[in-house]
Amino acid sequence: MTILPRAPRRPSNLLPMLGVALAALLLYWPLMLWANSGQAARSLASGADLGCKTALACATQLRNPVIPAPGQFATGFTSLSVPPLAPTSAPYNALVTGGETLLGLALASVLGLVLATLLVRSRSFERATLPCLVASQTVPIVALAPMLAVLLGQYGVQGFLPKAIIAAYIAFFPIAIGMAQGLRSPDPLQLDLMRTYRASPAQVFGLLQVPASLPYLFTSLKVAATAALVGSIVAEISTISFSGLGKMLAENSRASDTVALWVIMIYGAALGIVLVALIGGLERLVTRWRPPA
Amino acid sequence: MTQDSMQTAVLPVRSGFGLPLLLLSAAGLLGLSALLAGQTAPAVAWPWLLGVLALLLVGAVGIRQSAQGESRTARILPAAANLILAVLAAEAVLRAYAVPTGLIPTPSKVAQSLWAARTVLLQDAYYTFVLEALLGFVVGTLAGLGLALLAVRFRILERGVLPYAALLSSVPIVALAPVVIKAAGLGWPSKTIIVAITVLFPVVINAVRGLQSAQPMHLDLMHSYAASPAQIFREVRWPSALPFIFTALRVSSTLALINAIVAEFFGTEGHGLGFRIQIEVGRFGLDIVWAAIVVASVIGISFYLLISALERFVLRRN
Repeated sequence: MTILPRAPRRPSNLLPMLGVALAALLLYWPLMLWANSGQAARSLASGADLGCKTALACATQLRNPVIPAPGQFATGFTSLSVPPLAPTSAPYNALVTGGETLLGLALASVLGLVLATLLVRSRSFERATLPCLVASQTVPIVALAPMLAVLLGQYGVQGFLPKAIIAAYIAFFPIAIGMAQGLRSPDPLQLDLMRTYRASPAQVFGLLQVPASLPYLFTSLKVAATAALVGSIVAEISTISFSGLGKMLAENSRASDTVALWVIMIYGAALGIVLVALIGGLERLVTRWRPPA
Repeated sequence: MTQDSMQTAVLPVRSGFGLPLLLLSAAGLLGLSALLAGQTAPAVAWPWLLGVLALLLVGAVGIRQSAQGESRTARILPAAANLILAVLAAEAVLRAYAVPTGLIPTPSKVAQSLWAARTVLLQDAYYTFVLEALLGFVVGTLAGLGLALLAVRFRILERGVLPYAALLSSVPIVALAPVVIKAAGLGWPSKTIIVAITVLFPVVINAVRGLQSAQPMHLDLMHSYAASPAQIFREVRWPSALPFIFTALRVSSTLALINAIVAEFFGTEGHGLGFRIQIEVGRFGLDIVWAAIVVASVIGISFYLLISALERFVLRRN
C-alpha cells in the first residue's frame, strides 16, 4: 500500500467491469454443469429417459434445472417476453409492478412531507411519534403486507391501489426522516436573510425550506424505492392479483418452473435498477441548481 | 417550537399536569373497554367513538405537557404514552364497532393468542431469527468484510466489482428468493443464504468506503514512521473504517430479519414466523398473525439495540 498522490481524474470503470462480467460468464458454464449434474444423475439412476447417456450430457437438458443452460435461458426469455405486452409476458407484468411502486412512492412522498413538516414544527409531536416511527422500522413491516391486503380487500379497495398503499406504507418512513432532515438543513444565515426580507413563515417554508429539502428527498427516495418494490411484489403475492411480477413469481414457484423463475428474477432485478436510475434522472432534472455530484 | 411555547401560554394548565392527564386518559379508555366487554355490541357506536376521541384529546394535551423541558421523562414518556394510548384506543374502538377477529383482532385478543401459542411462536422465532437471520447476518458480514479487504488491496477488483455491488443492492430480494429456495431446498439453509446475500452488499459498499476514508495526512505520517502495511492497516485504516462498517451493520440488522421472513413466504418445511404469518392469513387467524408480528418486532428491536450498543462500545474503545 504505497501512498500515491491522488490522480486528478479517475480512470473509467468500464474495462474492469467488462473483465469481471467476462469472468462470470466463463465461470457460469462449469458452475451450471456442476449444479445440474447431481440432479441429472439422480434422474438417470431412477430410470427416467432423458434422451441422453451420461449425467454430464443431460445437465443442459433438465426440465427443471438448478441453473438453466444458455439454450434454456434463450427459450425461456423469448417465451416470456414475446409479445411484450401480452398479459402473460414478463415485460407487461414488470410495467404493472413498476407502476404500483411509483404510485406508492408518490403517496409516500406526500405523506412523508406532511409528517416531516409536523416533526419540524412541533417538538412534542417529534418526541411522541419519532421513537415509535423508528421502532416501527425494525419491525418486519413486510409481514403486515399479507394482512393489510386482506384488510383493504374487505373494505373494497381492490386492484392497483392496495399494492400501492402497501408500497407507500413501507416507503414513507425513510422519506419522512430524510425530509425532516432536509427541512432543517437551511443554515441560520439563510433564515436570517429571509427575515430581513420580511418573509412570512409560509414563504420561508415554501421558498427556502422545501427547495432545500429536495436533495434529501431524492436520496431517501432511492433508498425507499427498493423497499417499496419489495412491498408491492409481496402484496401481489398475498392478494388475488391478475398481473404483476409477484403474481408471476407465485405462479411459477408453485409450478416449479425454474427457468421462468430465473427469467422473472432478472426482470425484477432490472426493474429495481431502472427505478433507482429513474429517480436519479428526476433528481438531476429537479435540482438543476446543484452542481452534479 | 414557537407553537409549543404559545400553546403552553394559551392553555391554562401547568406542565406538572402532564402525567395526571395521561393517567386520566388511559384510565378512561380502559374504563370504556371494560364497559364494552359485558355486552355483545352496542346498537349505536358513535357515542363510544366520540368518548374515545375526547379521551385521546385529553391524552394529547397530556403528551404535549409532558414533552416540555429536557428531563429524562420528557424524552421517554411522550413516546411511551403515545404507544399505550394508541393500543387502548384501538381496543375500545374495535369493541365498540364489534369488528370481527378475522378482520382486525383487538389487542387483548392478540395478547391472549400470544400467550396461548407461545411455544409454537418461540420455536418459529428460533428458526427465523437464530438459524436464518442471525447466521445469515454473520456469514454475510464476514463475506462482505473479506470482499472489501480484497477490493481495497487490489484496485482492479474495486473498479470491476464495486459498481456491480452498488447495482445489485437495488435488486428486490423477493425476486431472488424463489430461485435460491428451488436450488438450495426448502430447509432453513436456503433462507440463511438469502439473508447473507442481502447483508453482503451494504457491508461491502460501506466497508470499502470506510477503509478508504483514512485521511491522507495520517497515512503520510505512518509512512514517514516507516510503518509496515500491516501496521498502517491496524492503526489507521481499520479504526477509520469501523464507523462505516457499523452503519452498514445497523441497517442490515433489521434487513436480515425482514428478509428472512419474506424469504419464508416462498417455501419452508413448516417452520418460521414468515411461514406462520402466511398460513394464518390464509385461515383468517389474524390474532396469531399479530402475535407473530409482535414477536418479530420485539426480536427486531432488541437485535437493533444490541448492534447499536456494540457499536457504541467498540467505537468508544477505539
